[in-house]
Amino acid sequence: MNARFAVAAMLAACCLLAGCAPEQTAAFMKNVGGVEGLVRNIKDASGTIDEPREIELGHGMMETLLGARPLVPDAEVQRYVNFVGAWVAAQSDRPGLPWRFAVNDSDHVNAFAAPGGYVIVTKGMINTLHSEAELAGVLGHEIGHVIRKHHLAALRKGAFMNLLGAGAAAGAAGKSSGELVQALVGPTKDLYSRGLDKDDEFEADRVGIVLAARAGYDPYGLPAALQTLAKIKADDPYLALLFKTHPNPGARLDQLALAMGAGFDRFQGSPQNADRFRYATRNLRPPQ
Amino acid sequence: MIDRMRRLCWLVASVAAVLAAPAWAQETGFTLRATDVKAKPFLDAELLAKLPEKTPVTVLVRQGGWMQIKVGETQGWVRMLSLRLGNPDPKQNDTSLLAAITRSSRPSANPTVTTGVRGFSEEDLKAAKPSPEEVAKMESFAVPPAGAAQFAVAGKLVAQRVAFVKADGKPEKEKK
Repeated sequence: MNARFAVAAMLAACCLLAGCAPEQTAAFMKNVGGVEGLVRNIKDASGTIDEPREIELGHGMMETLLGARPLVPDAEVQRYVNFVGAWVAAQSDRPGLPWRFAVNDSDHVNAFAAPGGYVIVTKGMINTLHSEAELAGVLGHEIGHVIRKHHLAALRKGAFMNLLGAGAAAGAAGKSSGELVQALVGPTKDLYSRGLDKDDEFEADRVGIVLAARAGYDPYGLPAALQTLAKIKADDPYLALLFKTHPNPGARLDQLALAMGAGFDRFQGSPQNADRFRYATRNLRPPQ
Repeated sequence: MIDRMRRLCWLVASVAAVLAAPAWAQETGFTLRATDVKAKPFLDAELLAKLPEKTPVTVLVRQGGWMQIKVGETQGWVRMLSLRLGNPDPKQNDTSLLAAITRSSRPSANPTVTTGVRGFSEEDLKAAKPSPEEVAKMESFAVPPAGAAQFAVAGKLVAQRVAFVKADGKPEKEKK
């Protein structure tokens, strides 16, 4: 403990001597504690990680994810997914998170989230959907991963912890002020190429339909999106990756059939808002 | 002349109707299990027909949890989750319930093993360099709660009280 403090103090002193502004020094100190604290937090058997750290973690992971593919340069569609997403997330039990949504410039059909309230859908996914109710269901599924902390559960599993620990050690010994982000690069790439636990995917589907229903949408939007995916051939290169990291859409639909039964029939006639969706996303579609 | 005009109007109207229909209208599908065809999209509506498993159907439109279908001379409504789109194909993934249960009861301690990447190609992710600029851009599009509520009103969306559901459809216990 003393040794760690001494190293941090020494590095901070170097930073001061090198002429960093006091804010930068403070941020640097926070990050040194941040990475190590993060590892301690995630390792904690009780599974607790405080919300500011969770958001910091998600932010760091997002830097790598958006480094892979940037946002589509369409402010209208970015604003639109934030309206839909913010409204759906407001119905969750964590409405106070700083929810952020984006469409990234990828033709692959997918959507993913990071801790703390970050959600990305690909342009390819937007182009397979038919209505705002379907988008609400897909965003609801991702919001489900965030509110149930599925990524944190995956991070807690061995391999990721070792990577994060190694990153933290490298970060603490290094000179960069972005060591939290650097420490997260490996674990982020690893986590998002493996995918989450299958049961967590089924749980996120159930959260997705309920959040869409709470938001006043036709709750069958997510199943409708899955039906579209289910008919696309499994060897389609733009879907192969989604299929590998998720249970197949048919299995997800079967699980939803069990969970929904006739319990969602009372929302028959709830809006799908297909026109608003088509208008907001018109510039993403390839020319016919 | 008037007749020709009328015919033209009818043609224009038909084309407009087709264009206005959801993009997946007139798809083919098939029944996953033995399924009732109802006159209206409600459980207690009149029963029109009973379809056996794997009956090919034409899907016309979706309304909530129901799909309007046509099979032979019969047109009616079936439960959406009793259907799959496309054609039954034995080479496709087995979507049977038994298969789903077998799959989902695999040991859950191991994350899904795959070389794929969620959302972009694996090469994109491997080569990724952190981009604080893109995250800052993402944050700049955030919508405050009041804005989301206004957006909901404009879309005729009314918030509902609905409990989260467990895998068997029973409500989850609410957190105190």
